[in-house]
Amino acid sequence: MLFVVGTIIFSLLAIVPGDPAELLLSTGGGSATAEAIANLRATMGLDQPVGVQYVSFLWNSLRFDFGTSIIDGSSIAQNIALRLPRTLEIIAAGTVLSLLTAIPAGTAAGLRAGGRFDIAASAVNALLTSVPGFVVGTLFIYLFAQVLGWLPAGGYVAFAQDPVQHLRVLVLPAVTVGLHLATIVFRMTRASVLEMRGHDWVRTATAKGLPRRLVVRRHVLKNALGPVITVVGMQLGILLGSTVLVEFVYNWPGLSGMLVTAVEQRDYPTVRSIILIVAAIFITINLVIDVLYSVLDPRIRLQ
Amino acid sequence: MTAIPASRARALPAIPRRMILPAILLATLIVTPFAAPLFTDANPIQISVRERLAAPSWSHWLGQDEFGRDRLARVLYGGQVSLTVAFLSTTFACIVGTLFGLTGAYFRGPFQFVTTRLSDVVLCFPPILLALLVVTLFGPGTTTLVAVLSILYFPAFARISFSEALRVSSLDFVEASRALGTPSSRIVFGTILPNIAGPVSVQYSLTAAAAITIESGLSFLGLGVVPPAPSWGQMIRGARQFMNQDPLGIIIPCVALTLTIYAINFFCDRLRDTLDPKGNGGGKDTTSQPSSDGRAVAAADDVVAEVRGLRLDIPRPGRPVTVIEDVSLTLRANQCTALVGESGSGKSLSSLALMGLLPSAISQTAGTLTLRRKSGEMVDLGRMTARQLEGVRGNDVAMIFQEPMTSLNPVHKVGSQMVEAILAHRPMSAVDAKARAIRLLTLVGINEPERRFNGYPHEMSGGMRQRVMIAMALTCEPRLLIADEPTTALDVTIQAEIIELLQKLRTDYADGLSLLFISHNLGVVAEIADRVAVMYSGQVVEEGPAKQILTDPHHPYTRALLESMPSSHEEMHSARGDRLQAVDGTPPLPDRRPSGCTFRDRCPIALETCALERPPLFKGDDREVRCFRAPEAGRNAA
Repeated sequence: MLFVVGTIIFSLLAIVPGDPAELLLSTGGGSATAEAIANLRATMGLDQPVGVQYVSFLWNSLRFDFGTSIIDGSSIAQNIALRLPRTLEIIAAGTVLSLLTAIPAGTAAGLRAGGRFDIAASAVNALLTSVPGFVVGTLFIYLFAQVLGWLPAGGYVAFAQDPVQHLRVLVLPAVTVGLHLATIVFRMTRASVLEMRGHDWVRTATAKGLPRRLVVRRHVLKNALGPVITVVGMQLGILLGSTVLVEFVYNWPGLSGMLVTAVEQRDYPTVRSIILIVAAIFITINLVIDVLYSVLDPRIRLQ
Repeated sequence: MTAIPASRARALPAIPRRMILPAILLATLIVTPFAAPLFTDANPIQISVRERLAAPSWSHWLGQDEFGRDRLARVLYGGQVSLTVAFLSTTFACIVGTLFGLTGAYFRGPFQFVTTRLSDVVLCFPPILLALLVVTLFGPGTTTLVAVLSILYFPAFARISFSEALRVSSLDFVEASRALGTPSSRIVFGTILPNIAGPVSVQYSLTAAAAITIESGLSFLGLGVVPPAPSWGQMIRGARQFMNQDPLGIIIPCVALTLTIYAINFFCDRLRDTLDPKGNGGGKDTTSQPSSDGRAVAAADDVVAEVRGLRLDIPRPGRPVTVIEDVSLTLRANQCTALVGESGSGKSLSSLALMGLLPSAISQTAGTLTLRRKSGEMVDLGRMTARQLEGVRGNDVAMIFQEPMTSLNPVHKVGSQMVEAILAHRPMSAVDAKARAIRLLTLVGINEPERRFNGYPHEMSGGMRQRVMIAMALTCEPRLLIADEPTTALDVTIQAEIIELLQKLRTDYADGLSLLFISHNLGVVAEIADRVAVMYSGQVVEEGPAKQILTDPHHPYTRALLESMPSSHEEMHSARGDRLQAVDGTPPLPDRRPSGCTFRDRCPIALETCALERPPLFKGDDREVRCFRAPEAGRNAA
């Protein structure tokens, strides 16, 4: 799968009209000399036949050698290694927040579907689903940073440098990412719990005299989590992309910010590498989800 | 004016009531931006530097932005751009995707491969990343946006139409028209397409909402709609720098954007509910009537459980529907009582009431349910709190259900489901509980109990699962075991084994196990029961010693049941399933019960009195019957 993705990215960038070297050198205004263009093409490896470029691209990608940026010549692999953890940090924090709030809320709503809590929570959820992440981000900055002044509006401080400030900067991006994910988790949990609670084994568990708390935890929630995990997994992959907006809003120097800059500067090797990495993570997440799913549901293991 | 032709009027389906509000909301939000000239004659891109960030005024209702442009005009014209991009791209994606899906599903083979693989590859990329990649290649702009979003969303349509078409094309009428030689294109567009329109239209509105989100997101990044053309994402981007002086600048486009997406989502939710109404069903849930503490009730020493005048209703606006009426039963120690009757006669509900497991849609409106606990005291289930009931269930009274395939939780090991039942009532170590569970598995005749203990339910046959259910019910040595048609779902040889096991347990069980056996299988009942209670239409119509009832029935319904059974060989009867074809007609639905005797419509010996008056339970020697024609009736009258 990853191989296919790599090939597609490569060929998309290869067939695109325009010579990157020429484009790059002419952006400063005026046209570059033919000699300068040829030099740059040589350093970028663009003078070689497409087949050779393709093989070396695949081979280097396998070794995590993505070459250097054509803008400033820095190592792409190093840049990614520096920025990827920051992006993963927001996603991880947001995911934890959303799971901690949305699973209990979704369970409560699903157990008493049609009840007062369910109606209120579902209405709030429907509204929150409709607010795009960057809108939430912008409004958060206005409210918490500008009006109330509780939290910084954005930026980044390394954890090693100032742990407290690091966490303060992290709060808004994490909540923004988490809010979006939470709406999806809530919906899924509610629907799944609603479905599971009607099963015969739930009645059996109640008939055994199990306390309601245990009935819900072991015989409703455990069964209901399978679909929820699948959805969270898919969303995590999508989040890798949509943090672009959140990082942009909060000026968070993560991987997506790097991508946007690279797109603006037409830095092909960088764009290519980042997308390859993200797709790789995306596929890995899906694999992990499959494994998790079989842990949750023993019936899957047989197949 | 001429009237609309009838055929035309009928062709337009009536709009369901739940769809009206979302449809109006959505239509308003879509039409308003395109009616912009009606609201304002300002030019959305006309700059007026002197009036930068001006507050709302008569000439500019929503104020002016950072370049002094009229904000109302910008929101409205921006909406035009966003909506056009979203609906154009969604429509493209829908057409292309559905075509892909249809061809893939209809022609299979290489078409199917291309459809599924292509979607897989596109779905491999997070959507915004793919959009960014394309924008890198072709530069920002409205045309690029439409192209990107179409590429992004066609796989979703391909997937949905593929799986739906696959489902539809295997239906009989499609197979039939294929066999008749209808051309493929006619089948695909004339037969399959209309049948998958529902799910595809839901996907359409979902995608439109997502497309607006991504369009505005890209514009917000400066990679979407190119300035100075207005767009909501871009307005937010522009107003961000000035949010301090001019909060209205971000709030207005944020609200417009959110409201539009909300309207689409709302519409989509209702549409889905309308097309697929099963989503929000009730489902079973247990209820409990919390009250004071379970008070002791006096009763004869050998009584294990007693039901007195039980009445169960389904509360409905107006008149509640009575499903169980005046049911009384006395269950004694060491005795097997069989509850017999057709499906829907209320046998299962009566037994669930004894467990405090009534579905939440049903409420007890009269009568008492008392149960003897192991301590010897009789308690009233109706007066117990939910927590007290948990202490009774599984401990003093246990239940085996009809469907062993679904009664065990598939994600837990068999052993842990047994152990949790033990630990719920007995303070003991996990090791002891395990030893006990394995002893019980041996007792119910399971080979290799150690291995089964660590196995999952799906690794067992139905008969074995029912044995596990029985072992689980016995874990805490209850005094009363309720078996609700425990053999109905099993095949005949296994049925006999399970009945034999229950018989053996009754004789071997030291403490004196009382069994409430629910069945419509009179052969099995004759074999196992000491007493029989026949239920019809929510009432007990005859009750007494099994021998007497089965050899000399006094109620016409019991007689009909017995006559419908092949004379002596109960095995033959059990193989016939639950239909009692010899009894004419079917039992009335709970809300259509006739006045007087509920059986009179099917009764061969009904009198006029039977229609006027509901027969009471007439008492005889050790038996009761609810019929004016029974011998007991004459004796009571005398």
